[in-house]
Amino acid sequence: MAIPLPPTSNPAAPNPAPCLEDQEILAKFADPASRNVAFNQLVRKYQQKVYWHVRKMVIDHDDADDLTQDTFVKVWNHLGNFRQDASLYTWIYRIATNECLNFLSSKRRKFFLPLNDVGAELSAKVEADPGLAGDEIELRLQKAILRLPDKQRLVFNMRYYDETPYEQMAEITGTSVGALKASYHHAVKKVEQYVNEESHHD
Amino acid sequence: MKTPFHLDEHPRRPQPLAGPPAGYFDRLPMQIMARVQPSAPRESTAPGWLTALSMPLRTALASVVVLGGFTVSFLLSPTATAPAKAVALAQVPETEMVQYLLASDTRVSLTDLADLAATDRALTNTYLQASPNELQDALDAQPTDEIYL
Repeated sequence: MAIPLPPTSNPAAPNPAPCLEDQEILAKFADPASRNVAFNQLVRKYQQKVYWHVRKMVIDHDDADDLTQDTFVKVWNHLGNFRQDASLYTWIYRIATNECLNFLSSKRRKFFLPLNDVGAELSAKVEADPGLAGDEIELRLQKAILRLPDKQRLVFNMRYYDETPYEQMAEITGTSVGALKASYHHAVKKVEQYVNEESHHD
Repeated sequence: MKTPFHLDEHPRRPQPLAGPPAGYFDRLPMQIMARVQPSAPRESTAPGWLTALSMPLRTALASVVVLGGFTVSFLLSPTATAPAKAVALAQVPETEMVQYLLASDTRVSLTDLADLAATDRALTNTYLQASPNELQDALDAQPTDEIYL
């Protein structure tokens, strides 16, 4: 289920060169004397984006914490092989995405849970989240998003919440821009339909 | 009638879920750095020369030590001293043996003789280095009182 992780970028998408700060981080990381400083700088720069990307997929803070740490450990282990023809941010995002999808997939395999049961578990965590207390529409929206398949939910989150450009999403997911646009369009329709169905039941 | 829900009309919350615990993003870099740093080498209790050996060599050395231990314990086992006991027993004069058996409260019974047949014949043979004539003479010299049989 995981998205393959070659360090190359999608040929259909432009290859954004690493920004100046990223280039500085990569240069310092290449020097063993300044490697720790560079990596600390990298973590501080991307930790919130990675955390929230993961958190929206797994909902639970503890799971998100574990996966965020695992993501950066993998970044540390493979940063030496990172080819600078792609954005560092995209590359890190891609690792985090794989971690999320693998986590959800292994969770289903481990407990022999069908799709809906994992969705129900995540839905229960959303209902218990204090950030959504008192906001009925937002809670319905979150529960509707959780009914999407994992990959479509990933596309929805990146586009709707992070406003990630389709080209960058294509690099992260290894999917074409056209397929991503279609996936997002269908996701929006399904989410609206789910919310309206829930409203009619009340 | 309720208004149908449209996503583009809904106010978007970038982070709809509750945030992480306070100070989480201050601690996270340190936790990650602790995970990626190689752990300090543990104090080894093995002697320096042993740790200097490669793993296959250490395994071979351990095998040699174990086999040597088995060999030594085999050589020092009680069966190795049996010939010495037999030699010491052979030096006891025959008359003293007979006197011992006669004076002892414990008589040699037929049951004892039956048990004797089940004992190690090789051990018995070491005492019977005599010709049939010598054996006959030895038997004739013994008292014929049935009580001792």
